[in-house]
Amino acid sequence: MKFNLARLRPLLTGSLVVAVLAVTGLAVRPLETPAWQWVRAQQPALKLESLQGALGQGLTVGLLGGFRAITADFFWIQTNSVWEDRDLPATQTFIKLVTAIDPRPLYFWLNGSRMIAYDMPNWRIVDAGGYNVVPPATQRRIDEEQATVALRYLQEAFNYHPDAALLHVEVANVYLNRLKDKARAAEAYRRAALRPDGPFYAGRIYGELLRKLGRKAEALAWLKETYANLPKTVDRARGVSAFTVESAMAPLVLERIHELEEELNLADDQRVKP
Amino acid sequence: MTPPLPRPAIAITGLTKDFALNLRGVKLRAVDNLTLAVPEGQVFGLLGPNGSGKSTTIKIILGLLEPTAGECQVFGVPSGRVDSRLNVGYLPEAPYFYRYLSGTELVRFYGRICGVPKARLAERVREVIDWVGLSAAAHRRVGTYSKGMLQRIGLAQALVHDPRLIILDEPTAGVDPVGSAEISELILKLKTQGKTVLITSHLLAQIEDICDRVAILDRGKLILEGAVPDLVGRQDQQALLVDALPPAELAELQGWLAARGHTLNAVEQPRTRLDQLFLSKVARAPKDGGHS
Amino acid sequence: MSSLARSVPFSFGRLGIVAGNTFLEAVRQKLFNFLLLLAVALVASAQLFREFNFGSSELKFIADFGFGSMVFFGSTLTIAATAQLFFSEIENRTALTLLAKPIWRTEFIFGKLLGVLAVVGVFCALTTGLLLVLLYNRETALMAANPEAFEAGRLIHYGDLVLMGVLQWLKFGVLAAITLLVASFSNTNLYTVVMGFFMLVICHLQYLARDAYSQVSALPLRLLVQGLSYVFPNFQVFNLADQIGIGQGIDPTVFLRVGAYALTYIAVFGGLAVYSFSQREI
Repeated sequence: MKFNLARLRPLLTGSLVVAVLAVTGLAVRPLETPAWQWVRAQQPALKLESLQGALGQGLTVGLLGGFRAITADFFWIQTNSVWEDRDLPATQTFIKLVTAIDPRPLYFWLNGSRMIAYDMPNWRIVDAGGYNVVPPATQRRIDEEQATVALRYLQEAFNYHPDAALLHVEVANVYLNRLKDKARAAEAYRRAALRPDGPFYAGRIYGELLRKLGRKAEALAWLKETYANLPKTVDRARGVSAFTVESAMAPLVLERIHELEEELNLADDQRVKP
Repeated sequence: MTPPLPRPAIAITGLTKDFALNLRGVKLRAVDNLTLAVPEGQVFGLLGPNGSGKSTTIKIILGLLEPTAGECQVFGVPSGRVDSRLNVGYLPEAPYFYRYLSGTELVRFYGRICGVPKARLAERVREVIDWVGLSAAAHRRVGTYSKGMLQRIGLAQALVHDPRLIILDEPTAGVDPVGSAEISELILKLKTQGKTVLITSHLLAQIEDICDRVAILDRGKLILEGAVPDLVGRQDQQALLVDALPPAELAELQGWLAARGHTLNAVEQPRTRLDQLFLSKVARAPKDGGHS
Repeated sequence: MSSLARSVPFSFGRLGIVAGNTFLEAVRQKLFNFLLLLAVALVASAQLFREFNFGSSELKFIADFGFGSMVFFGSTLTIAATAQLFFSEIENRTALTLLAKPIWRTEFIFGKLLGVLAVVGVFCALTTGLLLVLLYNRETALMAANPEAFEAGRLIHYGDLVLMGVLQWLKFGVLAAITLLVASFSNTNLYTVVMGFFMLVICHLQYLARDAYSQVSALPLRLLVQGLSYVFPNFQVFNLADQIGIGQGIDPTVFLRVGAYALTYIAVFGGLAVYSFSQREI
């Protein structure tokens, strides 16, 4: 009897260890769950299927083991390296890989979209013989193609950063600079300006684009509303620094308002008094 | 007849220890139904060839192993209990201590573990290191010690808390005759202090001289146990040591013995034991020296 | 007889002595060379990022690489140090001498654990400190170079960075306790190290089992998966701010919960190691 018991001892010890751990797991769930939810909320789900193919099992495990940010950083450096070589397919692949691994840093999205929208058309045109050889229509088509890719890429970014004003600015820039589409660019700048963290310049550019689109009354109304809310003096108590006041450029906005009032021939009593 | 034995420091009754060799239940019986008492105040030798169960018995006495059957008590406390080791000092076989500590740090560490009062600790550490003759090397890292020095620092750590029972597992294994003799000398000193010493060895002759009692184990079983004079002395014969006799005088002596009904059984040239010869020829190295 | 039979109560003093000796061994065995290696790697990587002209995002790269190396080297140090400091006692048979003294095996195991925690604690404190200094210096330089990126003040939450260091230390503590449990029944250092890394990966992937069990329809498999999710601790909860020191700050109550979570597991794994070790024949 004793003999049998002695033989079973390691098994009994093992079972006891597992049982104690399971009970502990149950007992600490209330401590763990809120923390886990917190971590979960901060970490966008990994697209395991797409990543495993590209990276292999080992690296996926690395990502899950708290090395997600550093792995993305590593591939971003790789991205920069192939970007220097003007290797279009590789750059495009790495850009998407980086944000697939870690979509949280806005930096990756913004810089990735710039490479796609601004650098890649240039590479393609140079590869096709240069700006003097490639017909303007073709150049225009290449610009549009790349801009479309960049916009699609930025659209994906909104899934992770729905509130990021800088993403709207980036979209607006692509519309304005690459597609020469003032109307859409204006709309994107407006969205950026309406965000709490929207840069002051987004509002100014929106007003300016409305003016250029001939929607002067609209532009005036917008600038007047904007002007009313701009910080004009330093107020440390409210967190208004000299830098903020400087970048708000209230005097410039007022100047634009006056110009528009001129252009619209407004009566004196309808004009803004400083 | 030997006088009645004093109270035992160690009492072992029906002790058996099996080791499982594999998961199918094949086992090795290292100690087989051993019953033994180590009287207090004596030097007790636990002898036997390699693999006879000496070290296993000692590990059970120290609570490092659990017996399969039987029991073992140290000063009346079951050996599995932590308090059974309060009055025990132990020098393991081929000791290998924390190499990164100095001799003093090592003995101090064990002293603190054994609860030597802080106020007395420094003094006690110095005392035992001095006692084993390692004062000059006390500040050196243990990693640089020779085998003989390791045995001596081992003895110091075993004695630091002034235990009443000292267990020495093969204390002279791998030590040269000088070191060996020094250790024997220290053991005899311990005896004069009233300590109980349990010593194991596979070199039976080497510890014969210092033991009061011995027990001999073979394949886990007790073969022989008793007081050394009882075991090795022969009651029916006597030896006379005289000057060298010329053949004529020897024949005369033989005739004298025969006339009284005695027989001269053997005439031999007495020999010095080799280790004693060695010791007499070698100038004693200083005690702190690095001999190995 | 009664004077001899006085009982030996559990003693934090002895536990501390074992811990102190373990720490001393780590220091004198030069386990801290790890730190030097990491420090060099950190400073070198921080220099590297200047080459790329990332602007204010350079700080993110420094923080990511700093913490990444801390997590990687720290995990390695924890597993290797725990296994080494335990097996050096067993293989050199110093455990034999020590456990032949009036000492509880609980004191021995928790002493070892505390010693390793101290080693890893120093590691975490020094690497976090170095990272703070690197980031602060670089941020100051970048702020001077382009103030508009730092309109709202400093970007790095240095307090969170310290909390992250503490969280990593706690995670390493749980990892050390797990490794010690493995060591308590394992026969070799190598097996312990391999199992330690294996457990590290499992504990990071534990949440997959949690997520999966609700989707498994077959009952036996479902119970197995659910059981697995309860048996292993979830190491992902220690990544409270994966985007280190930037972005959302750490909620103090969540931090405290994770701390309690870690301490519970350290105690439980330590207790199990004691139980397993008490059955070990030395």
